[in-house]
Amino acid sequence: MVEVGVEYTKVSEIRGPLLIVEGVSRVSFDELVEIETMDGIKRLGKVLEVGQGKAVIQVFEGTTGLSVKGTRARFLGKTMEVPVSQELLGRIFDGLGRPIDGLPEPIAEEFRDVNGAPINPERREYPRDFIQTGVSVIDGMLTLVRGQKLPIFSGSGMPHNILAAQIARQATVVGSGEEFAVVFAAIGVQYSEAQYFKRSLEESGALRRSTLFLNLADDPAIERIITPRVALTVAEYLAFDLNMHVLVILTDMTNYAEALREISAAREEVPGRKGYPGYLYTDLATIYERAGRIKNVKGSITQMPILSMPADDITHPIPDLTGYITEGQIVLSRDLFRRDIYPPVGVLMSLSRLMKDGVGEGKTRADHMEVSNQLYDAYARAQEVRALSEIVGKAGLTGVDLKYLDFGDAFEQQFLKQAVDENRTLEETLRRAWDVLSTLPEGELTKIKEVHIKKYYKARG
Amino acid sequence: MTHVNDNVLESIVNKVVSQVESDLIAQIESSYAQSLERLRASKVSLEAEYSKIVENASKQAENLKRQMIESSRLAVRNKQLLLIEDAVNDVFKHAISRIDSVRAGERYEAMMRRLIEGALDAIGTDAVLECNDKDRDIVDRIVLEIQHKYNFSIEVGNSIDCLGGIRARSKDGSIILDNTLDSRIERLRPILKKDIARLFMV
Amino acid sequence: MVARGRIVWISGPAVKADGMSEAKMYETVYVGESRLIGEVIRLTGDTAFIQVYESTSGLRPGEPVIGTGNPLSVLLGPGLIGRIYDGIQRPLDDIARQSGAFISRGIAVDPVDKRKRYRFIPTVKVGDELEPGSRLGTVDETPLIKHHIMLPPDNPGGKVIAVEKEGDYDLEHPIATLEKDGKRHEAKMYHYWPVRRPRPLREKLDPEIPLITGQRVIDTLFPVAKGGTAAIPGGFGTGKTVTMHQIAKWADAQVVIYIGCGERGNEMTEVLVEFPHLTDPRSGRPLMERTVLVANTSNMPVAAREASIYTGVTMGEYYRDMGYDVVLVADSTSRWAEALREMSGRLEEMPAEEGYPSYLASRLAEFYERAGRGIALGTPERIGSVTLIGAVSPSGADFTEPVTTHTIRFIKTFWGLDTRLAYSRHYPAINWMISYSGYVDSIAKWWMKSVSEEWFRLREEGYYILQREDTLKEIVRLLGPEALPDEEKLVLEVARMIKIGILQQAAFDKIDTYCSPAKQFKLLRLMVGFYREAQKALKAGIPLADIRSMQIITRMLKAKFEISEEEIGKIDALYDEMMEEFKALTAREVKQVVG
Repeated sequence: MVEVGVEYTKVSEIRGPLLIVEGVSRVSFDELVEIETMDGIKRLGKVLEVGQGKAVIQVFEGTTGLSVKGTRARFLGKTMEVPVSQELLGRIFDGLGRPIDGLPEPIAEEFRDVNGAPINPERREYPRDFIQTGVSVIDGMLTLVRGQKLPIFSGSGMPHNILAAQIARQATVVGSGEEFAVVFAAIGVQYSEAQYFKRSLEESGALRRSTLFLNLADDPAIERIITPRVALTVAEYLAFDLNMHVLVILTDMTNYAEALREISAAREEVPGRKGYPGYLYTDLATIYERAGRIKNVKGSITQMPILSMPADDITHPIPDLTGYITEGQIVLSRDLFRRDIYPPVGVLMSLSRLMKDGVGEGKTRADHMEVSNQLYDAYARAQEVRALSEIVGKAGLTGVDLKYLDFGDAFEQQFLKQAVDENRTLEETLRRAWDVLSTLPEGELTKIKEVHIKKYYKARG
Repeated sequence: MTHVNDNVLESIVNKVVSQVESDLIAQIESSYAQSLERLRASKVSLEAEYSKIVENASKQAENLKRQMIESSRLAVRNKQLLLIEDAVNDVFKHAISRIDSVRAGERYEAMMRRLIEGALDAIGTDAVLECNDKDRDIVDRIVLEIQHKYNFSIEVGNSIDCLGGIRARSKDGSIILDNTLDSRIERLRPILKKDIARLFMV
Repeated sequence: MVARGRIVWISGPAVKADGMSEAKMYETVYVGESRLIGEVIRLTGDTAFIQVYESTSGLRPGEPVIGTGNPLSVLLGPGLIGRIYDGIQRPLDDIARQSGAFISRGIAVDPVDKRKRYRFIPTVKVGDELEPGSRLGTVDETPLIKHHIMLPPDNPGGKVIAVEKEGDYDLEHPIATLEKDGKRHEAKMYHYWPVRRPRPLREKLDPEIPLITGQRVIDTLFPVAKGGTAAIPGGFGTGKTVTMHQIAKWADAQVVIYIGCGERGNEMTEVLVEFPHLTDPRSGRPLMERTVLVANTSNMPVAAREASIYTGVTMGEYYRDMGYDVVLVADSTSRWAEALREMSGRLEEMPAEEGYPSYLASRLAEFYERAGRGIALGTPERIGSVTLIGAVSPSGADFTEPVTTHTIRFIKTFWGLDTRLAYSRHYPAINWMISYSGYVDSIAKWWMKSVSEEWFRLREEGYYILQREDTLKEIVRLLGPEALPDEEKLVLEVARMIKIGILQQAAFDKIDTYCSPAKQFKLLRLMVGFYREAQKALKAGIPLADIRSMQIITRMLKAKFEISEEEIGKIDALYDEMMEEFKALTAREVKQVVG
């Protein structure tokens, strides 16, 4: 038997968030470590590298205040675990899963490794249940389905949290009456943002079926590596053990990636783009892929990570690699935001990859996909014409082009724009879609089959 | 001429008057109709406004009700969690207070031996053992018995304040293993908690 | 003597072990007490660097490492088709049977059920002299695949001493005995082959037959030949995976190997859910009966991702050796390159561009070199091919990054996906100005023989219209469309028609998802024919506005999804109708001028 809880006091180096301990034996890779300072303050960490009597430990709460002398590292013989149980709902924890709501440590049904394990692709159930969010642009053109991972790409100051909260309040699967349990992980966000979310859940009576993990802007940065994993471990338990439909909101993943970069820099690894480690893609995947459905299990995890694009740049490694893993993206547009259009969803850059499987006859409506395609096509053309008209003026445009200009305005004002507390049915969303499409001549609707034009096109003589 | 003129004048005046009159009536009628229309419209819009207010209010009331129910449910649950925690603490306190009574038994010594051997294996070099005053005799005795199995020295150091068990460290202080009952109980606590809580919950 | 060493150092998937002087490069080893599978990737003295194909969480220095004496190999034999494997050929359904919905470690499972019995029909008789790679008999693996039981290419061959008669045998049953130079050896219905060693061909042949994918922009504009290579780079959301799925579904190959390398779990699930229900347009059988999946999703251990490409291509070559046309799609080779980079970083090798190892280019070259069409070893003569199609995921959609630039050096067909086209929902978002195919001339013969003599000229004309539009667009951007003369406005109009009516193709539309060569040709003829007539009409003085407002245009644009394969004659009818309408236009114009 290997004795757990052995402490080592020979700290040879402290470098950034890393603590290097020597003279260790029987330490395992990825093992959880409790670090105790001279004054008895405890912190947690994990083994990043071990060999030749040396262990490199990543300290979650940071190394500030640690000294080479008098610091002790206790190896706990297991990887980082969190307690899971139904009682986690209605509770608030810090970024490592410790209660901060004045209530005791939760009573664990089980302890689960925060790293989880990959879902076997053969056992996944393909997601195809339409979620009505009540937001026209999402339901109509970026349909979300149960078990999808759909991030919001935003920028500083834009209302991503307001939109995410609206979705969390309004999301339902029509006809099922089932409500979502919400797992919310704040990763290095401002207190006010976390508070807004909490209040929004409270006011809709959803706090009782929510679990919050808060790592705020002034909390230790390295802890952010763990926060989404803790949240997802709890979500997996709720979804796959307790059969709940769980909506996981992770905000802001940019702060997560920055913490990862900090560790990589301290380890002096060869950096990839913009100083982020070469394994950023793989690392992000171990978070985002913890969404989905499993065969013969009722529950699901729908993930909505939020990330702010540095300088609104979608080619920055964080949004870029995220987009390669997630099943689409909702991109917020600075331009629409400035023009006071809420939700400021830049539809052309946005995409829901699973939409095709969640809409159509028997699920939403037979014309849904075609209408969506036509809206994209027409709005893309409208944007082109807008740009052109700024150079050559309206006089240089053809008659059809002018129609597209009108379409663009109608689309933004009547379809895209809606109130923060406005919950539209799918019927209404599609009605509005046909209203704005009907501002175009019939011959322009090249993406829609004849039968649907006959049925819904309004300007027909 | 004048007479005729007068007549003509009168008829013209009459005409004008009647014209004015009818205009006036028409105007009055139309404004009456208009105001009626306005009234009707305002009634409709008022009704709409009214039902909107009612609807909003009832929506708000619904929300408020929901919010209140859910938050009081939550409060009750939280109260329950606190009670369970208190109960669990009581159980632990009780258990700890009974440790002294088991100290005399054979099983206690066997346990101490296991704790000491485990610690020495982990340290693997000249070691110092620490325990409380009550356990000192047992520890001395065990060390004497097992020293021959180890190719390094084992000392029994100063007394420490603990419930039982031992704390071991390498002589140079670089490796420490806390095998006191206090720390072992603390490590077991989250695992035992579930079982204890279950007794209270049913 | 196998190596028996001890772990001395662990960092993620990289492990160092001492006492490994017996180990060979690329040998498979068992790592730790839970016997994780690993592969030796560097030897220094008696220290071995090992990449571990499973999570190393919880592994300790001091745990044992045991060699197997064999390089990383795959099992080749009946039972592969229709399965889904991880990167080192473990069936994911068997893993699930042992560990449930989540993948755990240290699971040992055979790639196929060796006890399953197949009906073996011998094709050789006692006394036959066989060369290495020769066929011994056949087995019906699926209704689509007659599996040829072959001697391994590295088998000495020799004279047949005994061969089983037709009957049901399991895989471990020896089906033939051969003698060579006085030595006897037995053959079973399966053998192992090291994944990093290409299976040899007797002779490579020129790729001159197109791989028909049913995707218009590919088949008509940028075709790939059977046995050829193609790469499809694109930023996220540009439709790489959808295009790969389309090729896997509709390509006219007999065997499809789909490698999901570091990509989404749900994408593999989608294939698993969809393929059994989709039917091959040629055979009418479920697509799953010709497909093998290799799935190492992004959250599965990174080292196995590196191996998955080789696992896939080795299985592909095996079916090629039976005389089949095999298509292998690898989505995405960038994730494979990243796995190389990660291991290289852990070994502290000197990095080249963007942290990738300096051997990235040679590894890519080796991989694409495994494509080809050729004659297999042994008897009877079998001609097969492996077509390699690799998706590339350039960071920031930047085609100058190392994986894209190196890949371009080794492939002949390039389908460049364009973020701007994707934003305007022009799918497939293959940009016709940057894409190319090196096979057009060699496969033109096939089109002209099988579809129409006119194909080559019409394709040239259609492509020319698109190229002209591209230049004209620059002017439009500055001056607006009204600044152009009518002749050039017509080019814009027809280019729009080609884009909507031909290049754009809805993968999720029942009719549009697959387009036969004949239908592709008819649509091309329709659009180019329109251009020719419209040019004539303009010259005859007919106003452009009249041409633009022709009623038939909308129907032409929708022909791709309104007219199904069964009724493609309607496209000819549409063509005739179009000609009539032009005639009527001209007649009216003449009347106005004369009258």
